[in-house]
Amino acid sequence: MSLLVAQQIHHSYGGTQALCDVSLEIEPGEWHALCGENGAGKSTLIKIISGVEPPDQGSVTLDGNPLPMGRIHAVEQAGVVAVHQEPVVFPHLSTIDNVFVGREPGRLGGLWLDRDRMARGARQVMHQLGEDLPLEQPVGELSLAQRQMVSIARALLNDCRILILDEPTASLSARETQSLFRAIKQLQAQGVGILYVSHRLEEIFQMADRVTVLRDGRMVGTHSIASIQRSDLIQMMVGRPLDASSAARPLPREEQAPALLEVQGLSRAGVFDHIDFAIQSGEILGLSGLVGAGRTEIARAIFGLDPIDTGSITMDGQPMPEGFQIHDAMDRGMALVPEDRQRQGLILPESVEDNLTLPSLKAFSKFLGLDRDSRGKAAHGLIQRMGIKTAKPSSPAQSLSGGNQQKIVLGKWVYRQPRLFLLDEPTRGVDIGAKEEVHRMIRTLARSGSAILLISSDMPEILQLSDRILVLCQGRIRGEVTGSQATAEQLLEWALPPERPDAA
Amino acid sequence: MNPSGSNPKVQQAWFSLLKSRTAGLACFTTLILVWMSLWNPTFLAWSNLRDIAVAAAPVCIISCGLMLVLVLGEIDISVGSMMGVLAAAMGAMASASRWHLPPGVAMVGTLILGVFIGAINGWLVAYLKVPSIMVTLGMLTALRGVTEVIMGGQWITDLPPELRSLGTGTWLGIPICLWVTAAVVLISLWLIHRSTLGRRIYAIGSHPKAARLAGLPIARTQCLVFAWTGFLTAVATLVSVPQLSVVDAGIGVGMELLVVTCVVVGGTAVSGGIGNLSGVLLGALLMTMISTVLIFMKLGENATYWSRAIQGLFILGAILLEPWTRSRKKP
Repeated sequence: MSLLVAQQIHHSYGGTQALCDVSLEIEPGEWHALCGENGAGKSTLIKIISGVEPPDQGSVTLDGNPLPMGRIHAVEQAGVVAVHQEPVVFPHLSTIDNVFVGREPGRLGGLWLDRDRMARGARQVMHQLGEDLPLEQPVGELSLAQRQMVSIARALLNDCRILILDEPTASLSARETQSLFRAIKQLQAQGVGILYVSHRLEEIFQMADRVTVLRDGRMVGTHSIASIQRSDLIQMMVGRPLDASSAARPLPREEQAPALLEVQGLSRAGVFDHIDFAIQSGEILGLSGLVGAGRTEIARAIFGLDPIDTGSITMDGQPMPEGFQIHDAMDRGMALVPEDRQRQGLILPESVEDNLTLPSLKAFSKFLGLDRDSRGKAAHGLIQRMGIKTAKPSSPAQSLSGGNQQKIVLGKWVYRQPRLFLLDEPTRGVDIGAKEEVHRMIRTLARSGSAILLISSDMPEILQLSDRILVLCQGRIRGEVTGSQATAEQLLEWALPPERPDAA
Repeated sequence: MNPSGSNPKVQQAWFSLLKSRTAGLACFTTLILVWMSLWNPTFLAWSNLRDIAVAAAPVCIISCGLMLVLVLGEIDISVGSMMGVLAAAMGAMASASRWHLPPGVAMVGTLILGVFIGAINGWLVAYLKVPSIMVTLGMLTALRGVTEVIMGGQWITDLPPELRSLGTGTWLGIPICLWVTAAVVLISLWLIHRSTLGRRIYAIGSHPKAARLAGLPIARTQCLVFAWTGFLTAVATLVSVPQLSVVDAGIGVGMELLVVTCVVVGGTAVSGGIGNLSGVLLGALLMTMISTVLIFMKLGENATYWSRAIQGLFILGAILLEPWTRSRKKP
């Protein structure tokens, strides 16, 4: 008998049917992947199974017993635990408090917290994950990947029968991903069923036993992973064959063209060290490396967000002044699209229109006010041009799917026509269809003469898009290769820290 | 010999101490004490220090509750009016010319009423999802009205001696209100550091959405914290109001502002998730001391006016200082 059975789940938000007649079974010890484009209903299904929301219709049973629908705490106690896509952590609490919150061990009937046991338990679960995190520090001071690890640790600590992971590896480096997989396999061996959502198909083919595909809120089917090909899976997800020519990219390049951006000897103690590179107009320069190698920090320094210790940044032959600010960088034609779009790239409760026009408000101001008509027109144009799917320009940004949110983040800069884009993980957590569109957009931007610095942990993406790739390791450039000659193996080898640099 | 310069760890500790709100408040409080004692040595007299402590006691007690409300990300500006209504109710219950209940019953009745009013606040915020600033603003006005109804334009001057002794009595030479304050502080320390409820309060204030996904009982916690603040307001009323010989309808006016000032000056974040009890207690002590200092400076009638102005400046200053002290935010 299956461990978890979800039967004929129907759910709608307002008038939109999010799930229609979806059924799913998970066997004990099975790694069950859940695939589909953004908006296909994966998150909704997870929310229903994990008790965040009760379904309109349908039932979920564990071992034949119905789960208490819509009651997170009760569902967790029954043994179904979810790790949601955005790390669910409490920024002001320490790692220890975070992993235990909601089920703290106590003496005297819970009246006296057993802090020693909490510290031991947290250390143990971090060890299981192979992670060495500061346990006492407020989690808000940790990196995104570390916060994700805390969120996963919280789930592992539960005695779970079913573990649901919604894109857990999106912000993790290759090494962290491997530690996570090791931990999941241990649970699998103990008979825990895994429901796994990821846009990284290679992970699914590597780890999963079966895969269920959703499209537009409906079941496409459940298949054993051994019985299907990658292209079959993609086709099931998008419902059409992928544009096979998208990988090809003709690139006539002038070797001697002057550099648009030149970075020399850029250093910041403990973060990056002697970074030299140059980008020409129309070039896509990939910046590869593990999470924490200093890629994001370099982009932030170029944009004037973070200070640098030494080194020079030259844009268009003119050096940036010492201690320059973001608006200097923007005036010189730079744009930064940050990695953490929910927190840094978008004002979620504000409308699509407001978000799109925020960096160019000056262009729409007239005496003492805002020219609403021309602003509305510009926003409308961008929505069309970027293919943003929104009910109306005044809908709040948070009502859009992740892929469409990402298009807003890109689109708001496109209006200013920058000559240099600093893109940090532009497709993190974005579904295959939207990813294609973002890729197409990046190519269009480059073809129209903008230079692009592309930071990405997604190997195929960086290989497919980049004219040239730099690989960063522990804050230094380890290697450089032209896009056509690069291989995933070579990039990974450069990205991994050399064994014991200090020994020998 | 340079003990702090040689070791980077020690240096770091000093630096973080300098940045810490609590240390800053302690320095500032000491500075005022030293300055006042040079200016007028009687300021340091035991009787004056005790008066300051006694005046600070109700402020400290209510602050312990209000701090948790702010940590939750909510606010309660009804505590002043609540104190007024509780004082009136206590007086009416105990007074021989009114209901003439036994003093013990009046005490317990006051406490129950405090919990009840707090729970209404909490219920409106938690279950009807009314913003707490609106709920408690309404409560602030309504309770002041109820106070006037209970008092009926009269004063209560005949509190029974048992109740009076709650305010004026001593045990082992220390005023009873200070013992009560100490007990409240100990319970609050336990609540914040060693109870699951405390962890939940900080978690909910830190990231409400995550708290929901973690399955924390948000509404119940909100209700509890507001009710607890109501309870503490009743406790503060019981130990402070009987110090006066007369209960009138104006008791507790402005108390909410004073308490919010203390809590914010003490480093509690208005946005929730951050709050540290020692800072809040020092804040309460400092604010009370400043009123005393103003009296010592013989400003006469002006003292009250000045103390309001200074209170406001402190709130603004505390909020302006926030970015620099934010790194010390562990509860």
